[in-house]
Amino acid sequence: MPSTFKGLSLFAGPHRFARAKRGRLVLPNLSLGNDVAGSVDLGAIEVDIVVTGRLVASSEAGLRALRDAMTGAIDDPPDADTPGELVDSADHAEPDMTFITYVEADRTDRGRDRSIAYVATFRRFLPAP
Amino acid sequence: MLTLHPTTVRFDATPWPDVVRIAVERSTPRLVLDRADAGPHPTFADAPEVTTTITVTSDVPRGDPAAPIPGDRGLLAFVSAPAATSAARHHACTAVVTRVAYASSPRSGAVRTVELVALSSDGAADPISTTPAEHA
Repeated sequence: MPSTFKGLSLFAGPHRFARAKRGRLVLPNLSLGNDVAGSVDLGAIEVDIVVTGRLVASSEAGLRALRDAMTGAIDDPPDADTPGELVDSADHAEPDMTFITYVEADRTDRGRDRSIAYVATFRRFLPAP
Repeated sequence: MLTLHPTTVRFDATPWPDVVRIAVERSTPRLVLDRADAGPHPTFADAPEVTTTITVTSDVPRGDPAAPIPGDRGLLAFVSAPAATSAARHHACTAVVTRVAYASSPRSGAVRTVELVALSSDGAADPISTTPAEHA
């Protein structure tokens, strides 16, 4: 089962899904300007899912197309800021995810194939208060 | 690739006599090995960096005053079989000396080992060129 985001098979190559830190956002009172001990609970931390993988193609042009598809999923209007469903290789779906960052490794690897490692982060934003 | 008793071994136009063997070895200093979420086994492997190392072992009958030194750069050329045979191949590459070492034993006498790293012309081309010896 291929992993997808908004139905797009962006993850062309080996990749792994992981959840980032979960829990609640707790800050010391002192950091909020209150000169007292203790802390304040500001609510649940937003859900982040981190996909660590490698785009693999047999040619430079093929790899460029895969990289463009990734960045296009973040940058392209009209629905770049519209949440979508993120589905992992075990067919587990996370709804209402937004693709927020895509970070590539420091080099393109040119061996038998052309490939580049990446980290893609998706977030389920909390509703605006 | 291992070549025993190559003929006409030259480095930077200087003959290297009495060569016993030349080993051309390739290794990757950085292996890409990736796995997926489905299980424990790698699903992708590649060698985006390859180092070609050449080891030239020769007898040293008398001293070795003109031995190469690390950092020397030149064209290493040798023939891998007697030139009179159709199987003879001429090998050549630009290489840099990385190590020169000696050993001796009552059985084999004095032996010099020179290690070199082969250089590619542009990073993509194989650093070793091989042609039929008659065309060399």
